[in-house]
Amino acid sequence: MTKRRIGIAVEYIVLTIVSVISLFPLFWMLMSATNKSTDVLAGRILPGQKLIENMGNLLKTANVGQAMMNSFKYSVLTTVGSVLICSIAGYAFEVYYTKSKNMVFNLLLISMMIPFAATMIPLYTLFGKLNLLNKTLGFALPSLSTVLLIFLFRQSAQSFPKSIIESARLDGAGELRIFLEFFVPITKHTFTAGITVAFMSNWNNYLWPLIIMQSPTSRTMPQLISGLTSGYVTDYGMLMLAVSISILPTVVVFLILQKNFVEGITGAVK
Amino acid sequence: MKRKLSVLLIVAMLVTMLGSCGTASNNKGGKNNSKSSGNALTVWCWDKNFNIYAMNEAAKIYQKDHPDFKLNVVETPWDDVQTKLTTAVTSGQTGTLPDILLMQDNALAKNITNYPKTFVDLTNSGIDFSKFAQYKVALSTVNSKVYGVPFDSGTAVTALRTDVLQKAGYTINDFKNITWSRFIEIAKDVLKKTNIPLLSSQAGSPDLVMMMLQSAGTWTFKGDKLYISDNPALLKAIDVYVELVKSKVLVEVNNWDQYVGTFNTGKVAGAMTGCWILASVQANKDQKGKWAVTNIPKLDGIENATNYSSVGGSSWLVLSTSKNKDLAIDFLGKTFAGSTELYNTILPTSSAIATWGPAGTGSNYEIAHEFFEGQKIFQDIVEYGKNVPKVSYGVYNYEARDAIGTAITKIISGTDKAAALKEAESTVKFQMGK
Amino acid sequence: MNARFKTKFKLSTIGWIFILPATLLLLLTKFWPIIRALVLSFQSGVGLNTSFVGAKNYIRMLHDNLLHTSIFNTFFYLLLQVPIMLIIAIILAVILNDSRLKLKGFFRTAIFLPCATSLVSYAIIFRSLFARDGFINLILMKTNIINNPINWLSSPWPARIVIIIALTWRWTGYNMIFYLAGLQSIDPSIYEAAKIDGASAFTSLRKITIPLLKPMILLTSITSISGTLQLFDETKNLTNGGPANSTISISQYIYNLSFAYSPQFGYAAAVSFLVLIMVAILSFTQMKVGDRR
Repeated sequence: MTKRRIGIAVEYIVLTIVSVISLFPLFWMLMSATNKSTDVLAGRILPGQKLIENMGNLLKTANVGQAMMNSFKYSVLTTVGSVLICSIAGYAFEVYYTKSKNMVFNLLLISMMIPFAATMIPLYTLFGKLNLLNKTLGFALPSLSTVLLIFLFRQSAQSFPKSIIESARLDGAGELRIFLEFFVPITKHTFTAGITVAFMSNWNNYLWPLIIMQSPTSRTMPQLISGLTSGYVTDYGMLMLAVSISILPTVVVFLILQKNFVEGITGAVK
Repeated sequence: MKRKLSVLLIVAMLVTMLGSCGTASNNKGGKNNSKSSGNALTVWCWDKNFNIYAMNEAAKIYQKDHPDFKLNVVETPWDDVQTKLTTAVTSGQTGTLPDILLMQDNALAKNITNYPKTFVDLTNSGIDFSKFAQYKVALSTVNSKVYGVPFDSGTAVTALRTDVLQKAGYTINDFKNITWSRFIEIAKDVLKKTNIPLLSSQAGSPDLVMMMLQSAGTWTFKGDKLYISDNPALLKAIDVYVELVKSKVLVEVNNWDQYVGTFNTGKVAGAMTGCWILASVQANKDQKGKWAVTNIPKLDGIENATNYSSVGGSSWLVLSTSKNKDLAIDFLGKTFAGSTELYNTILPTSSAIATWGPAGTGSNYEIAHEFFEGQKIFQDIVEYGKNVPKVSYGVYNYEARDAIGTAITKIISGTDKAAALKEAESTVKFQMGK
Repeated sequence: MNARFKTKFKLSTIGWIFILPATLLLLLTKFWPIIRALVLSFQSGVGLNTSFVGAKNYIRMLHDNLLHTSIFNTFFYLLLQVPIMLIIAIILAVILNDSRLKLKGFFRTAIFLPCATSLVSYAIIFRSLFARDGFINLILMKTNIINNPINWLSSPWPARIVIIIALTWRWTGYNMIFYLAGLQSIDPSIYEAAKIDGASAFTSLRKITIPLLKPMILLTSITSISGTLQLFDETKNLTNGGPANSTISISQYIYNLSFAYSPQFGYAAAVSFLVLIMVAILSFTQMKVGDRR
């Protein structure tokens, strides 16, 4: 009994230490958002009275609402699209395994191994010829299929009990139906991981949105933040506030989805 | 069933979103596209409080005589301007380029030389370049053709805390027209008496050394040839920098925000770089009335050494892909190259100091600035600008700057100076393809 | 007999249909540009003046000291940081999978948050923490671990360590998410059975958890290798490659070659292919060793 108690205590201690280390810089960032610029530079961690003022300045300086809306629109679009397209692909690479499909998978794997800076301009040139510049479709296309997501769902499918699929087939279910009604619910945890990382990566995407969209009204939050640091004088309090606002959506997405980590496979299978 | 339905719904929503968003941004794209027509110009630049503000004021002035004129400023950080420019030209999608863009002076030679047909030759455009500080004009001149309308001044200044100086028994005038050896002498004394260093700089940044180079009318290139190991001004400048650091008169910090922090929080009592730093200097209101400005020290024993130099600064370029070239040239000519009123208006709030001579006659330039003990800093700085030596930064400027920065860091940590510079030379030669 | 074969064929075809959209998209948005980049890597020149030079760029890489430094730095990060990060991530995931724990949601979120942070803000804060008179030195001196403050970002090795610390801080939570997902598909009854047989927590970890987590471990290893070899953000924003290029990453060098310096896209493309080859070798070795099939 005591051994178990010590075990749990150790777990709590470890988690607390790691949480404090993880949260400390973020806490500092939030506090900085309430301070004036020179105090932030001086390293002040205590909260200040400048939150309203920083907010006012921020709204005057940049169109935060528009940038948040743009980022949100693009992120939701590309996240939903990519999870749909890549989950079924990853599933298929595993469940319908053939040597040739595996070769294709390995080929696709290579595509994530080259830095974006190298493929950026050829991609841009191609999209220019396809008349996709400054269009939402042009924006979204490169993000709709990512090796990370395909890989993630393939690995998840490896741990998925094939027996479920077999019995569903015997019951006469179609393949797509099996995917939707069995795989998706049972691997909710994988979808949680996939949606979260996809959303986060799409939200923080900087270079491609920068060059593909031409209009100032399609500015994203990362671009807005970059604008705040590109002048001769940076208002650090205002900057930290903008950054704090910018990470909210990803945090909210994670908070909502992370409940799915609790349920395990036990309930579903039986 | 329910799942299938929800998936179908999501797909339907996606398709509609993609479709409608496509058209929406299509329209937006058409309207606010970089390609403007008739009476509108699109400009890429950065800094809401400085360049963008100046551009918008210029538009207002131009609109007095041209009421239909419209200016579309797209806020774009410098790094992004470079990325977008390079991408557009390399991919051939030049339709995405604006009519006018702002470019860092450090990058002028590189871009103009590498993308020859991209910028408009303004030499015979009617703009009178003789009225500008000649060192600025030289920076955007390639093969005797001028491509840029100079804008903000990078004229170097020494800004110091007069209250700290006073404690040590000095005034700002003790720093005017002096040599570096004298500067170090006084600075050491101030450090001894007040325990406060006079300067700070970003470790690894070559700015201070490059500033000294230009003050002696030289650079890391002589024509097309690399001029490093046998460049006496460079050798001297590095010695000065090392001495500044070793004597603790200059504090090295790790990045920009820390640099600004040093003088804002009073950790150091001065700043020496382009005059645009004065905006940051004024960030701490508690220091009002405690600063003054003068010119920079000159290198001892170096031929053509002066007390004047430049760090940074930028110029406006007109794109040859613009459909409104003439409008752009006329606009720039009547505002940044022709309006005292413009420079006068933008001076107080942005501290944007002109490199256009006639601007110095504007009433605001005579202001006795409260923050700077009532000194007429703007007048002074415009005067300094007239004396800055002309140099050409060259196509491989960034490569050379990085290499020098690396060499300086190595020398400070103990590497032999000649060896470090030899290494810098071979690195740049490699980048140049030699 | 015939019926079974038909079904197998039919299934395989359906499989192809499922992977088609994702594959086509990747071929269009990744493969085509990669081929163009490959062609470009055999060309040389500045700006728009490029001409075919065969393998000259690849040979040039042998003499590029800056490139060699960046490769050294990047591999240093890879070999040190990735294993540490993944081990910590697995341990945290296993702890968080313990059904007896309360406040799991809070801990999960707290550990995940760092990777959601914008680099701009966390760079400023990290630089402040590791300044000469910063918080870290304060703590280290108060606890008598060191006597003089370390100038973290101004010395080569400490600066590299800061990069590693920053990377670990930021990405451990990210990888933990994948392990958490992976752990969900392990039947708890296996652990029950093991406990009845007298296995300790550590043995369960070694003999049950890790083998069953192999798919996710493979995923995180390969993506971490790929990600670290293409590292850009952290070195650019925390140290800008300094001091004296001691922290510069390969991707940062490629970026410089393309945008900061006089643009040499041919050479930059060749260096990018070098990265691709390195990642490919490491990844496929991992696959051979770790893939279940």
